[in-house]
Amino acid sequence: MIEVNKVSVTYTGLRGVRIVRNKALDDVSFTVPEGSVYGLLGTNGAGKSTLMRAMGGIFRPDTGSVIIDGRDVWNNAEVKTDICYVGDELSWYERFTVGELKTYGQNCRPSFSGEAFDRMVKALELPKERKISRLSKGMRRQVVTIFGVACCTKYLLLDESFDGLDPAMRRIIREILTDEVCDNGSSIVLSSHNVTEISEACDHILLLHGGKIVESGEIDDICDRYRKIQLVGSEGNVSREMLEKAGIAVLNFMGEGCVAQAVVRGTDEEVRAGVSKLHVNPVETVPLTLEEVFIYAMREKGYGKINAEK
Amino acid sequence: MIVIDVTGRVPIFEQICRGICGDIAKGILKPHDRIPAARVLAKDLGINPNTVAKAYAALERDGIIYSLAGKGCFVAEHGNRADRRFTDEFEQKTREALHAGVSRETLAEILERVWTEMSEKKEGDSND
Repeated sequence: MIEVNKVSVTYTGLRGVRIVRNKALDDVSFTVPEGSVYGLLGTNGAGKSTLMRAMGGIFRPDTGSVIIDGRDVWNNAEVKTDICYVGDELSWYERFTVGELKTYGQNCRPSFSGEAFDRMVKALELPKERKISRLSKGMRRQVVTIFGVACCTKYLLLDESFDGLDPAMRRIIREILTDEVCDNGSSIVLSSHNVTEISEACDHILLLHGGKIVESGEIDDICDRYRKIQLVGSEGNVSREMLEKAGIAVLNFMGEGCVAQAVVRGTDEEVRAGVSKLHVNPVETVPLTLEEVFIYAMREKGYGKINAEK
Repeated sequence: MIVIDVTGRVPIFEQICRGICGDIAKGILKPHDRIPAARVLAKDLGINPNTVAKAYAALERDGIIYSLAGKGCFVAEHGNRADRRFTDEFEQKTREALHAGVSRETLAEILERVWTEMSEKKEGDSND
């Protein structure tokens, strides 16, 4: 189990002569259960990679801690044998050939399986003698991802691992990860900005924006926290204000006159209870898709609004 | 056949449940038939094994399948029991059809016709 407790990270930089502080993570807390595939989903610059690095014990959070199986991950070599972090920055691996990377793994990672590595290299038809720097972008991704899998650690942290892969290869890598979860009982943390990828591969997700958690938990539960409803006013018009007055959090409102469609926060029962106070018939209510949750929840935080709209 | 639409509104575990219930309804899966192991199905569909496990747990809770330790999951005897997964859609479509002006008699005729067709087919099968 990985417990992230109130983690905050601030980057300090210089802009001209001024010191600029940029809060990359702000009081982030969540738990990765054993055997789960946890997806980190966020807008560009939301803090996904920073969070991954903090979880991998590469960054020390300014405040808060990352506890893996009861032990703080920072500066703890023993815990680090249980985790493998594969970053989005691949230049470190480029000095090796594919074969040398295997030797490196065998020498430096106690649980590394050379046999599993060879099997995957063969399955993906990767050239063993070629230097990683001479491979294509997608192939480099494949090499480092299977390196991470071959480390056979209890926790695997993969930052943007599907980046630059074609659909067939994404599928193969996902199948490899499925084997990993089933055979080793590993927990995997994946980051991506691709909603479809995350909804297929993961059971839990964390939605990040501006260094803060927007939503976290099981995917189905998260989608169930929002509702898209179609309304018909029984006595005249339906308006956004009406719904808000009834205590319903409206994220989006569409429609004119007596027929409207709204995206609101709340479960089916909550929304129906709220609407029942009004002279309005909820015709249909459906949960949001993960993509819609992403769009509307982020828009609520002021992201993705086109300026002209204001 | 289980078809997963990840961009759809129905949760993936529910899509798996419906797929398996659909196969039972169509007679493709019969009582005591083994259903694929969670990891096999997860790989075939390209989805998370925990999601498949969640679907199987839901089906087992509803008495649609049963599991034997070390052997896998099997289709349970249904004995004409109506599960909401089979009737929900029927109810919704009936509602829509009635709204759209299809008469009650027409719907009853359809039900009667399908029932007759299926029982004739069953008789035919048992004569083979």
